[in-house]
Amino acid sequence: MLLLLATLLLYSCQRASGDWDGEHKLIILGIDGMDPQLLNKFMQEGKMPNFSRLVQKGSYHTLTTSIPPQSPVAWSNMITGMNAGGHGIFDFIHRDPATFDLYFSASRVEAPKHAIHIGSWVIPLGGGTAEQLRHGTAFWEILDQHGIPNTVYRIPSNFPPIPAKGFTLSGMGTPDLRGTYGTFTFYTDDPMATAGMVEGGQTISVQVQNSQVTSQLIGPSNSFRKGSPAATEPFTVSVDPLEPVAHIKFEEQEFVLRESEWSGWKPVEFNLMPFVNVRGICRFYLKQAHPRFELYVSPINIDPADPALPISTPANYSKQLTQEVGEFHTQGIAEDTKALSAGVLDDKEFLEQSHTVLAEHRRVFDAEFPKFRRGLFFFYFSSLDLNSHMMWRLTDPQHPEYDAASAAQYGSAIEEFYQQMDQVLGEVLPKLDDHTTLLVMSDHGFAPYYRSFNLNTWLLDNGYIALKPGVAADDSQPLANVDWSRTRAYGLGLNGLYLNVHGRERDGIVPPGADAAALLKEIKDKLLAVRDPKNNLPVITRVDLASEVYQGPYAQSGPDALVGYNRGYRAGWKTILGAFPPDVLEDNSNPWSGDHCMDYTLVPGVLLSNRKIEAQNPALTDIAPTILAEFGIAKAKGMMGQSVFQPDKASH
Amino acid sequence: MKPSLIPGCVPSSLALALLGFNSPVVIVLVVSVVVGLLMVLLFGYTSDQKAIHVAKDQLKAHLLAVRLYQDQLPVVIRTYGRILRGTGRYLRLAFMPLLYVIIPITLLVVQLDRYLGTTPLQTAQPFLVTVRTAEPDVLNDVALQLPPELAMTAPAVHVLADNEVVWRVVAEKDGTYDINIAAAGQTVAKHVLVSPDVSRVSTVRLRDHFWERMFISAEPALPDKSPIESIAVTYPPRVIEFAWMEWNWIVLFFVLSMVAGFIFKEVLGIEI
Repeated sequence: MLLLLATLLLYSCQRASGDWDGEHKLIILGIDGMDPQLLNKFMQEGKMPNFSRLVQKGSYHTLTTSIPPQSPVAWSNMITGMNAGGHGIFDFIHRDPATFDLYFSASRVEAPKHAIHIGSWVIPLGGGTAEQLRHGTAFWEILDQHGIPNTVYRIPSNFPPIPAKGFTLSGMGTPDLRGTYGTFTFYTDDPMATAGMVEGGQTISVQVQNSQVTSQLIGPSNSFRKGSPAATEPFTVSVDPLEPVAHIKFEEQEFVLRESEWSGWKPVEFNLMPFVNVRGICRFYLKQAHPRFELYVSPINIDPADPALPISTPANYSKQLTQEVGEFHTQGIAEDTKALSAGVLDDKEFLEQSHTVLAEHRRVFDAEFPKFRRGLFFFYFSSLDLNSHMMWRLTDPQHPEYDAASAAQYGSAIEEFYQQMDQVLGEVLPKLDDHTTLLVMSDHGFAPYYRSFNLNTWLLDNGYIALKPGVAADDSQPLANVDWSRTRAYGLGLNGLYLNVHGRERDGIVPPGADAAALLKEIKDKLLAVRDPKNNLPVITRVDLASEVYQGPYAQSGPDALVGYNRGYRAGWKTILGAFPPDVLEDNSNPWSGDHCMDYTLVPGVLLSNRKIEAQNPALTDIAPTILAEFGIAKAKGMMGQSVFQPDKASH
Repeated sequence: MKPSLIPGCVPSSLALALLGFNSPVVIVLVVSVVVGLLMVLLFGYTSDQKAIHVAKDQLKAHLLAVRLYQDQLPVVIRTYGRILRGTGRYLRLAFMPLLYVIIPITLLVVQLDRYLGTTPLQTAQPFLVTVRTAEPDVLNDVALQLPPELAMTAPAVHVLADNEVVWRVVAEKDGTYDINIAAAGQTVAKHVLVSPDVSRVSTVRLRDHFWERMFISAEPALPDKSPIESIAVTYPPRVIEFAWMEWNWIVLFFVLSMVAGFIFKEVLGIEI
């Protein structure tokens, strides 16, 4: 028995890091989109007392973000300590150079490859797969290897979650049940509304007959049926003939909603074939009962109590959380920005939904943080990012979408979300002791988004893209009607510029090597010279060549150059997906009015700590080495940075 | 808390005292084991044990014959015929005892379902009160009267297609309450139970529908001449966590009582 005990003790000592004393703890608050300029402003105004206290007692730096400064890229830098050349995430969307098909960069969910077809049924042979596309080793994998306990809550670019010994919940990149980044449904009897798909949603025309509406909730594609039609679940809404209130009934559930009222989470099961169901959760919002019927149904989220796809480690962690705090959004981008952009939700309704998301995060935080005893605790908040995207226009009179009346009502929304982050910090500060390091960090800052630059239209106008003879530029389809035999460069994604390289692209014509380099330099010089005729400001302030800024095995897999837009500018909505709007420059008329997908030097994030940060110019790629160093672990191979608590950092 | 007004209803506190537990899974476990034992004993007393023993032995012999003489087709065919006849004889012998067992179990399940099928309402948890009328023209006259501890949180929804009026209500305090429904000059009451404990719940009060009342209602019938056909309250269905799975209590009860029955049959030497 003694021998057994001694062996177990020896084993546990070997499992734990040699330099970790078992007492030292690390808390990281990952606040997506916290901007140093706004933080400084709110601290100066006395609205962020806990942040001010942390700055006074500890240290505060800007944090160099990723190239490009997009959240999936930035958080992958933070997770792996490498840039996009190392982890392979260059944008929200990537393209297959052989087919020009676009796909989500962070994950891929695939149906089973083989199946038997019987009539209208398709019987799969084997299961489908959910695959994470981020490469590199995550910092918590290394902590696991050294026996350091860890909890990593909703970190982006971790869907499906990689196998882990600690508690993890996937965040940005987690799809809804339809496999999208979030698809709402809007039911209306308004004859002026156009039925069909809009970006991020679907409008369904209904009729109110005898004060009753019958329609269907739209679920995932049913791969058990030929043609994979969407699985549906019927529901009935009975509207009171006089009062603004309705009774909603589906499956075994029924509830009453007043006008302008949100339901709680409602579970819904979609039957795919006999005895095969898939379960999700959704919320209802009765926007209007009379005179027009308008009902919003949120994207169907994966049910954390019974997840249809893996969203946590251990697999039942999401269920445990549900039992503790109730149901919560599992969709990666939980705030329904698309519904606001589509005009389905207004500012008030969007903010209500956003506050619900943050309240859920805080409920989980309040449940999980007190349990933290050893190792690492990472917690992610999305609210500043999504609300800065959507509400910037109400804080900035220069913005084309600024509206004084709305600004008077909701102009303080961003500030209020910052203050909520201050409250969270206020819960953490009293728990700090000599053995605990705190890092508060953001992946990037924020800037206004006044004007759109349509890169593909510019490339077309400047002769780098050629269209097939006799056809006009298409402003809706990705890279439609492009004559690839005469096209030398194209844009895809928020910052990506690609050459049509021979041997790489399906119909590539640009010889790799010196010719490609010369062409890139030519385009770069021209882009840097673009001025906005409206104000004579430069539209693009830097263009980074992938060959100069990326290191690692995937450095050649992404764009050839990254377009860095000036403050106030960003790639246009349609050019991102390869379309050709008529104008090169146009006002941004979308409620999505703040952004960060620009020149990365203009939108740094923040880094605060209760300890002295020695690094003069800390970067996201320093965070993973910092975490490892806190537990006495040397940084892993390929990691670029070093601990921010060490002076004389090397270049990133 | 007001006392129960349902005639013949065992007050929930007494029932709990009798059972001695307030945990649904423990109640199901105990009831399953006791019912498993009683089933076996009842079956043993009401069945012809000797005849069942002989019938089972003969079936075993026929099954053995099929294996031994599998190369002699006429014998195998004759033996299959004997197996069918033997099975019929066994079922006949088991039928009456099973009938004796099934009737009390059915009544027991109906009663237990009132405790275990749904959970009582919780404070601050919205629930619906749905009144169905016999005639559509009464709908606009229907009114809900609540005790001070309960409050409406939305206007009534008149569901014309179903002759229903639906109210959303919330309770401030635990208790057993009567809500009153007034329609066409008459007032009828419905029980509402708000409690964290396992208690007897009546989800609906019905007019007529004798058999439906037997099985799903734990309240007396509404008056025959009432314009109201039914008053329903949405109690949440109960899900029991057992063996890392979620169970409906009836499924769990049948599984556990069968397991208990098979164990007791061996222990008591009773042929089933």
